[in-house]
Amino acid sequence: MAVREMSDLIQHGLDRAVEMMAVAANNSFRFGRKSTLKLITVGNEEMQEIAEFCYSMADMSPLAARDGRFVMELIKEPCVLMLLGDKRKSDFNYNCGACGYRTCAELNKAEEMESLTARGPSCQFKNLNLNMATSAAACMAWRLGLHCRVFSTLAMAALAMNIIEDVDIVSSVSVSVAKEDPYFDRHKFWTKEHWDEIFDKEFPTFTRGFIGAIED
Amino acid sequence: MSMERSMKQFEDDRKEAVKLAARLLLASGTTAPRVGGVGECTIHILDDPCDIEDLCQTVEGMAAESKSWGNTFPRDAAILRDADAVLILTSLRSLTDPADINCNMCGKLTCEYLREAERIPAGEGVAYPGPLCIFRANNVAYAIDGVVSQARNLGIDYGVYWSAGAAAMRMGIVPRDTGFAVAIGISVTEKSPFRDIPFRYQEINERTMNDRIIRRLWPQFRSIYS
Repeated sequence: MAVREMSDLIQHGLDRAVEMMAVAANNSFRFGRKSTLKLITVGNEEMQEIAEFCYSMADMSPLAARDGRFVMELIKEPCVLMLLGDKRKSDFNYNCGACGYRTCAELNKAEEMESLTARGPSCQFKNLNLNMATSAAACMAWRLGLHCRVFSTLAMAALAMNIIEDVDIVSSVSVSVAKEDPYFDRHKFWTKEHWDEIFDKEFPTFTRGFIGAIED
Repeated sequence: MSMERSMKQFEDDRKEAVKLAARLLLASGTTAPRVGGVGECTIHILDDPCDIEDLCQTVEGMAAESKSWGNTFPRDAAILRDADAVLILTSLRSLTDPADINCNMCGKLTCEYLREAERIPAGEGVAYPGPLCIFRANNVAYAIDGVVSQARNLGIDYGVYWSAGAAAMRMGIVPRDTGFAVAIGISVTEKSPFRDIPFRYQEINERTMNDRIIRRLWPQFRSIYS
């Protein structure tokens, strides 16, 4: 019997696991009858581009920058990013009002607002279907023992870069078979300046004395 | 002829299993992921048949409010009457507390614009007072999948109904700030009441058939042959 190396086994296992995740996402519970989900996976090259894009957004979104720095570390070991997307318009005819329009016809006729993160306004139930598929993929990854997190930032970057096309709303699941869970502690990817700024803003009394004076 | 003791025992245990399963599903729905890692969903269990009946009557009452609800709402009510318990999953921040990430999924470009946007007044023909923060309300999707995933693990039959979620909001049995809610019916029976639904189920189902055939005939029989 031929000997197979551990790295080879793990890489193949990861590929198989991602296929299982895709099946779980495709067959997840959904509102309406037919799924309109679009799903792709990307590897290291695209993940590096996404990471650089996220990092370039540092002024607008410190969270995206943190995730960009994190992905640069993540891709040093075997990992995959699954991107899921869907169209924004409603084909349900529920007329529920959650989107802010009384009927689905009004929503579908409304002017499209484009931004880097998503094209809106979007149907709430389309969003639920997308995120239930994301959750099903993440659930499968969890059961198969992969390290796993759901990311909005990476998905939105992929949408802005047209890595996933023909969709308006997106979500993503990142999985890894690194020797240490890369998602467990991501504190080191925040910059100290940002952390200090947020801490001072959110907890002003922590650095102030009883009468409001700043302590040295 | 009275029901055998062992059959009564089975019925009692079945009902007990429903209560236990509902709480395990609540646990799974609660621990499912949340975007941003911030808590915002609550899950409420209705396992009393009277509470479920109240909910179903509200769903039926809403059917006439919108043309597109007319077909589905009465059928949903008939199906949920077959459920042994109903879980209501809510989103507490989508109405009052946008996520402040300017995701544009609501189409307002920034969360500040969403805060200023006029909400559709709750009332006739309106299920949810949108526009809601879609990024927040998406948490309900993870909660639904948590419940569904656990139901599959436990072998519990389930069905997801937004009509009953909207009805629960209308009845005021969910927290005050709820912007979005859906309901999941669960059943511990030999045939899932949530699949393979016959046509005109709101008119022809076990309850209406019992009512027509047995409950109407029996009093006549009883009075004639006494």
